[in-house]
Formats: sequence, structure tokens, C-alpha cells
Amino acid sequence: MKKVIISVLGHDRPGILAATTQVLFEQDCNLENVSQTILQSEFAGVFISSIPESLTVEELNNQLEKALGALNLYVFVRPIRVDVATYDAPGSEPFVITTKGPDRKGLVAGITSVIARFGANVTNLSAVFKGGDDPNQNIMIYEVDIPWRIDQNAFQKDLREKATELGLNISIQHRKIFEAINRI
Amino acid sequence: MLTEREIISTLEMLENEHLDVRTVTLGISLIDCVSHNPETLKNNIYKRITQTAKKLVQTCDEIGEKFGIPVVNKRIAISPVAIIAAAFSPSELVQVAHTMNRAAADVGVDFIGGFTALVEKGMARGDRSLIESIPHALVETDRVCASVNVASTRAGINMDAVYLMGKIIKEAASLSADRDGIACAKLCVFANIPQDIPFMAGAYLGIGEPDAVINVGVSGPGVVKKAIDRALEADSGLDLGQISEIIKTTAYKVTKVGELIGREVAESLNIQFGVVDLSLAPTPNVGDSVGEIFQSLGLKNIGVPGTTAALALINDAVKKGGAFASSKVGGLSGAFIPVSEDLNISESAAAGYLSLEKLEAITSVCSVGLDMVAIPGDTSAETIAAIIADEMAIGVINRKTTATRLIPVPGKKAGDNAYFGGLLGQSIIMPVNNGLGDNRFIRLGGLIPAPIQSLTN
Repeated sequence: MKKVIISVLGHDRPGILAATTQVLFEQDCNLENVSQTILQSEFAGVFISSIPESLTVEELNNQLEKALGALNLYVFVRPIRVDVATYDAPGSEPFVITTKGPDRKGLVAGITSVIARFGANVTNLSAVFKGGDDPNQNIMIYEVDIPWRIDQNAFQKDLREKATELGLNISIQHRKIFEAINRI
Repeated sequence: MLTEREIISTLEMLENEHLDVRTVTLGISLIDCVSHNPETLKNNIYKRITQTAKKLVQTCDEIGEKFGIPVVNKRIAISPVAIIAAAFSPSELVQVAHTMNRAAADVGVDFIGGFTALVEKGMARGDRSLIESIPHALVETDRVCASVNVASTRAGINMDAVYLMGKIIKEAASLSADRDGIACAKLCVFANIPQDIPFMAGAYLGIGEPDAVINVGVSGPGVVKKAIDRALEADSGLDLGQISEIIKTTAYKVTKVGELIGREVAESLNIQFGVVDLSLAPTPNVGDSVGEIFQSLGLKNIGVPGTTAALALINDAVKKGGAFASSKVGGLSGAFIPVSEDLNISESAAAGYLSLEKLEAITSVCSVGLDMVAIPGDTSAETIAAIIADEMAIGVINRKTTATRLIPVPGKKAGDNAYFGGLLGQSIIMPVNNGLGDNRFIRLGGLIPAPIQSLTN
């Protein structure tokens, strides 16, 4: 069985999901996983689908472009290779890192460079602009798997130093605390 | 994936609303430390405490760091000293207090509780020795806390013990006269004392408890106040039923935090987890006050008419939220109203809104009693005993815990200020009705019988 990953980008409007999935249905594809979001006015969707052996990636791409091009959307289809080794996650614990401070260039690059250097994996990243245009209300939330084997103190120290350098308040907390407080 | 709302609201509670774990208290059984030789007993006590609590402070700090929730206090509660040192004289018991103090200092905890006697039905030799040793034990040490249970719903009120405690409180105050009678801030007199309180000064480890146990005291009056303020700001038409729901939900969150931290500490120390005490415990900091909650609910100050009803609502909602959050709830569990430790409450007393009588009335619907109440230094032992007896009666009849922590401030009179410092705060000295007068009722002594459990009106 072949699998593909499809990404769809463009100005949000009604009918994007309907158009995309209609093509997949007509081509006898089975949708396996979907994630979609809207950032400001832009739609971004990622779909994983299994496709029939008889259907080529190019053909599916053409069909999707035909349907989605009419909606001014950009589409990209790529086969998922099962023979390429995936990232082998080490034993880790989930933490939430939040930074707060005035907006400027390089905040995420700075923080993620430290996270990457220690081999910690960001599993989700989101930005929240709490106070509208107020740059001081710029909050970035990184959900991060921190491997057990790394030097936790050094990691925290480096992150805090980087945050200070970038003018950010940072907090690093185990994910469980958020679950305990918010979930039944 | 967590939602942004979940993350941001949690951060707000931590950063702006004083959410913390107020205390992680390690209970240590000393029953098997008993010896006929005072030196052996003291050695056993010191060794047991320092070995069991060796990593308490470090572990609490590490886990607090991991979750981003500070564990403000780390404390120790031990088996009642009146039982483990029953064979000794008052002066030997003072030495036991010194040993407790040294052990607490060496493991880095600020308070150790358990200099305790349970005398609700009568006094054994050890109990009498311990009670007599309390003034010197508290004045000569700075970390030891004492408590005496003088009443229970099943036994009644031991009025001989109540009168004796009136005298002991006077003596402890006069021995610490240079510090406004601060020794009395480390002494609680109880009715229906729970065996698993993590909060000082009433913490001790009950006889029915294991070798070692971790009990946690959560707090969060600031979180509750802010939740009410936020809700009323969003919708000024909320009624009290809806506000009760908000307090309940908030208490749920606070309790979950306490249980999570407590379980992590217990697991890390390989010690059994005991209970979460879901109390609203204030500190003298602005924004960390139980008194301010009354103002959020629309009362001018704590103490004005409406206070008892408001406190009943708060206390009940806290219990409901907490009981849903954890199946291991114990200790005092409710709202504390320590006058000197809560800036807003002491200001209400100073402004004349809160009297001793109103304070007593509201203790019938909250978790503790007349807590950290400074009274004139010349209040007689009989009158102090009578105040205690009244407070005990409320607990005994209502099948709940009540306590007193009264401080007759030597050389000062009603309207003066008493300063205790730090978490103990400061307070105006409250006037006492018939403070100096004769009280033959107290001198009659004996036992006020246990109350009937039916005909509940």
C-alpha cells in the first residue's frame, strides 16, 4: 500500500476541506490523518492518505491542483517512504516551555537553537498575542520532550540565559502540572 | 496537546495569584524510639528525624522546580511527645524539645510539630509533664510547635485541662514578654484535633499513622479571590450559587496541584503519601489573604454582618472542590482566619469591623478557630481558659475541629499593636470582655460531658 502526504496552503475560505477530500474520495484514497489550522487569514492543512497502487503521485497531484487551483490554493503531494529510518525518540519527559516578552526577530530561532542543541524535541509550538498589538503580551508556548539522559540543570541554565539575552521571561514546567490543573 | 487557554491560565495562577504548595509536612512516627533513659530517647529521636528527613528539603525544592510550583514550607510532624516521653519530668521534656529543635535545624525545616498531648478525657502523668514543660520548651526553642487536644465530640471537654492551658498560655507569654509573647504563637489548643494536619502549629503525627507519611497543605486564597474578581468583571450579574461554583472549581485546581506535588515528593522519598489538606491559608502578603475574599464578595470588611454566611459559602465550596479533586483529603481542610497572619483581617480588626465575639461566631463555619489572636497582656488565665472553653464547645457540639492560638501580649492593652514578624505577621490587640474579671465557672473544673448525637437542633 502506498501512502502520501498532502499539504494545502492558501487564503482561508469555505469549501477547502470539501474540495480536497472529494478528490481523495473520487480517486479511491483513504484519509488516515489530518491536521489543519488557520493562521491569521491563511489556511494550512496536512493530510496523510493511503492511495491505490494504480494511482501515481503525479496523477493525484494533478487532480488536486485542478480542484484546488480554482480556489487559489497551493497543493503539494509527496510519497511517504517507509524504508527511511524515522527519528528514534529517546526516553524523555514532556515539559512546557513558555516565553513572554516584547516581540522581535529571532526569538523562536534563539530558543529552539538551545532546545535542539540538547536533543530535546519540540512536539508543538504556538504563539499567543494576548493583548492584540501589545508586543509585551507576546507569548510563545513550546511543548518539548526533554530526554532523561541530558544534563537537566545545564539545559535549564542555557535556556534561561538565552531567554535573558532575548529579553524574555521564561518558565519551564513539567506538562503534568497543566493537566492536573485543567483536566478532570 | 494542551490548549493555549490551559497554559496561560495556569501561568497566571502562578505568577499573579500566589498559587503555591504551602507546606509539605513529613510525619515521622517515634513510637519505637521510646526508652527509659532520657539520653537514649533523645539520641533515638534525633537519629530517626534526621535520617528520615535527610532529603526532605532538597527533594521538595527539586520537585517544586520541575513543576514550576514553589513548595513554600517544608516541615516535620512527629508522634505526640507526651506519649513517647511519658516517663519523664517537665525539665527532661524541655530537653526533648531542644533535641527536636536541633534535628529540625539540621535538616533545614523551619517548624517541627508534635510537642503534643491528647487529654480530652483526662490527663496521664506524661501529659501533665508535657503541658507543664510547654512554656520553657517554646521559649527556649524557635522551631518547636506544641498542641494540646482538650476536647472531642466523643469525650466532651476536659475543663481541668482547659483551665490549665489558660495558665500555661499566660506563663508562655510572660516568658517571651520581650517578643510580644511569641511563644504562644507556637501553641494551639484543640477540640477534635485531626491526626494528619500538615499546617503548623497544630501538626503532629497521630497514633494510627504509619512510620512515615507525606501530608500536603495547599493554599491559594489569592487564586480564589482573583477567580471571583475575574468572573464578576466578566458578568456582574452572577449570583452566589454561581460564585460558589467558581470557588469550587478553583479549589479543585489548587488541590490537584497539591496532590501532584505531594505524590511526587512521596514517591521520590519512597514514603507513603497521606493527605492533602485543602485549606485557604493566608500570609501577610497583599493578594494572599482570606480577608480580601470577603471584599470580593461585596462585604465592606470581614467582620461586618454577612461575614458568617459568606464564610460558610467559601468554606463549603472549598471542601466540595477539594473533595472532588482528591480522594485523600484530610487535616483541617477549610478556610483559615488567623488574624495577625492575614493583613486584611488584622486591618479589619484595627478598623473595628472585627471583634473577638464575631471572630468566635465565624469559627463555627470555618476550619479552625481563634487563630493568632492578640489579646491584652493582663487578661486573666481564667478568662483565657473561658475563651478556650467557648471555642472548644463550638467544635464539640458541631462535630468539627476548632482551636485557639491566643497571645496575651505582655504589657500591652487593647488597641496597641503586637509584632510577631515574618509569616506570623502583626495585629492590633483585640479587647476582651471581662478580661480581668472573676470566672467561677472555669474554676469548677471537671468534664463537660460528650454531647448527644441526636435531636440536632
